[in-house]
Amino acid sequence: MQEVSPDETKQLEGAPRTAAFPFRTNDSRLEIAPYLLLLPAMTALGLFVFGPLVQTLWISFFEWNLVNPARRFVGLENYAAIVGDAGFLGMIAQSFAYMGLALIGNLALPVGLALLTLQLSEREAELFQSLLFVPAVVAVSVGVLVWSWFYLPAGGLFNVALEGLGLPKPAWLNDPFLALPSVSLAANWKFLGFNYLIALAGLRAIPREYLEAARVDGAAGVFLLRRIVLPLFGPSALFLLVSTLLQSLEQVFVPIEVLTVGGPAGATTNLMYAVYQEGFKFFRAGRAAAESVLLIGLFAGLIVWQFRLFERRVTYER
Amino acid sequence: MSAKTARAPISKARSGVWLARVALSIAALLMLLPLIYQLGLSFKAPADIFVKPINPLPANPTLENYATVIAALPLGTYLLNSLIFSLGVTFGQIALAIPAAYALAHARFAGRRLALALVMLSMTVPFVVTYIPNYLTVAGWGLIGTLPGMILPLIGSGYGIFLLRQHFATFPTSILEAARVDGANVLQTLFLVLVPANRAAITSLFVYLMIASWNQLIWPQLIGSRQSAYTLTVGVQSFASGEGGSSWGPMMAAATLASLPTVLTYLLVRRGLLATFSDGAVKG
Repeated sequence: MQEVSPDETKQLEGAPRTAAFPFRTNDSRLEIAPYLLLLPAMTALGLFVFGPLVQTLWISFFEWNLVNPARRFVGLENYAAIVGDAGFLGMIAQSFAYMGLALIGNLALPVGLALLTLQLSEREAELFQSLLFVPAVVAVSVGVLVWSWFYLPAGGLFNVALEGLGLPKPAWLNDPFLALPSVSLAANWKFLGFNYLIALAGLRAIPREYLEAARVDGAAGVFLLRRIVLPLFGPSALFLLVSTLLQSLEQVFVPIEVLTVGGPAGATTNLMYAVYQEGFKFFRAGRAAAESVLLIGLFAGLIVWQFRLFERRVTYER
Repeated sequence: MSAKTARAPISKARSGVWLARVALSIAALLMLLPLIYQLGLSFKAPADIFVKPINPLPANPTLENYATVIAALPLGTYLLNSLIFSLGVTFGQIALAIPAAYALAHARFAGRRLALALVMLSMTVPFVVTYIPNYLTVAGWGLIGTLPGMILPLIGSGYGIFLLRQHFATFPTSILEAARVDGANVLQTLFLVLVPANRAAITSLFVYLMIASWNQLIWPQLIGSRQSAYTLTVGVQSFASGEGGSSWGPMMAAATLASLPTVLTYLLVRRGLLATFSDGAVKG
């Protein structure tokens, strides 16, 4: 990326510094350039991310159908109604179930595949990277359509195959217990490529001298993996863990919408999908907003954790 | 940077290499299988779809499904809408991200840490939380059912700012200072020095954002409430959940047509995209 040799940099650094940084005005204390540069982006973030965040909190105290100008202040009633709902605990449990399944299908699996890829030559590794990433570039909504055919109880690929083997044929997306893992599997298929790439990049950032030195000392196989690779891979793995958990509900969002619309009987919904359903299908904006707030509450720990991880990267740089 | 770091296999045992090869080949096959079935079904005659479904290859390949879809859906309109929507979101995000990333990477000013914190925080907000207020904003502007209404709220994103900031920060500040000493102003320094030096990263961010926005469904579906504003994903989804719901052949033909642009783009720019993506992942 850097097209400048170290020598050149050094020389330039010896040059007289008139200002601390490349923004100069007549009065260096009245530096407005950085603020002007940031203004458009920050305006957009304020208008479309942080403003809405505050607005959501406000809306959560109202009963409102999103269209009617009249809205009624109800205090914490929306929260009480959500928590008191018979389906609430199930919805929370399902949110955690999706997160747990993402840890298997979207963390353990891609990291395992990345470890295997390290064994191969550069060219072979590149081939597998390219192939495993293909589903990641297909639209989720479009890519999971074929899964609805796979899961068809009668005539779908999976049940035809199971029938051929003389095994029982489950109802997949219509089965209250299988529906959630089935939706999750389709989502994991679609998103595996991203984490596989990140894991591979993290593993490759381990200096090869460490591996070679350890090998010269007689380390091999599992020992090498446990004592050298995994500790050095730690920071990347942590980032992957947190982002996988944070993104798990976002990643199953569209598969739920396309495959089950939250059914059967709410068996595949989760806190994030419920926000969307309440708001835009049942037009209960206040309740949707209250669910948003609960969602952020559920994720708060993870959000802070991910923020810290981002921040660590920034301070490493400078 | 990553070119010089670990490329040494973990174990040099040949059995390990073969194990990896076999396992990864199976994984790659399983990953591609849904797309192979999608493609195969799209060429099967309706009568053949439930005959020997295990075999993805059509016994009597036909273009019938494609003809059905092309006749039923205004694909040209959808395609154009998808293109405008993706280009709008991508250019918008990059246009805001470049100057912001420059300031965050190379300037010292009061509030810099706060600005950076806000950018990072914005990346952790679940998208669905902002939908109702953003929908109301777009409605207030009278832009429901329009492409600008779809595009504008998505321009508020921290991802591009953070990614570019991380790349810009590796560029020596002293060079930028030298440009300033030579009389370049802030914008000249940015667009004549920093941006060209980070061409590769910006290009890959462009491709990544294009594919990501091309593939969006929920937001364009909420805002694009009339068929004339449907993007490809919205059009295909409305076909699949409505008239095309049980006609698997046409549905898979529509899915194939909708995936073609992103898959082809990916195949063309694969290397740069994968490199920047994993690079960006390690750096930020």
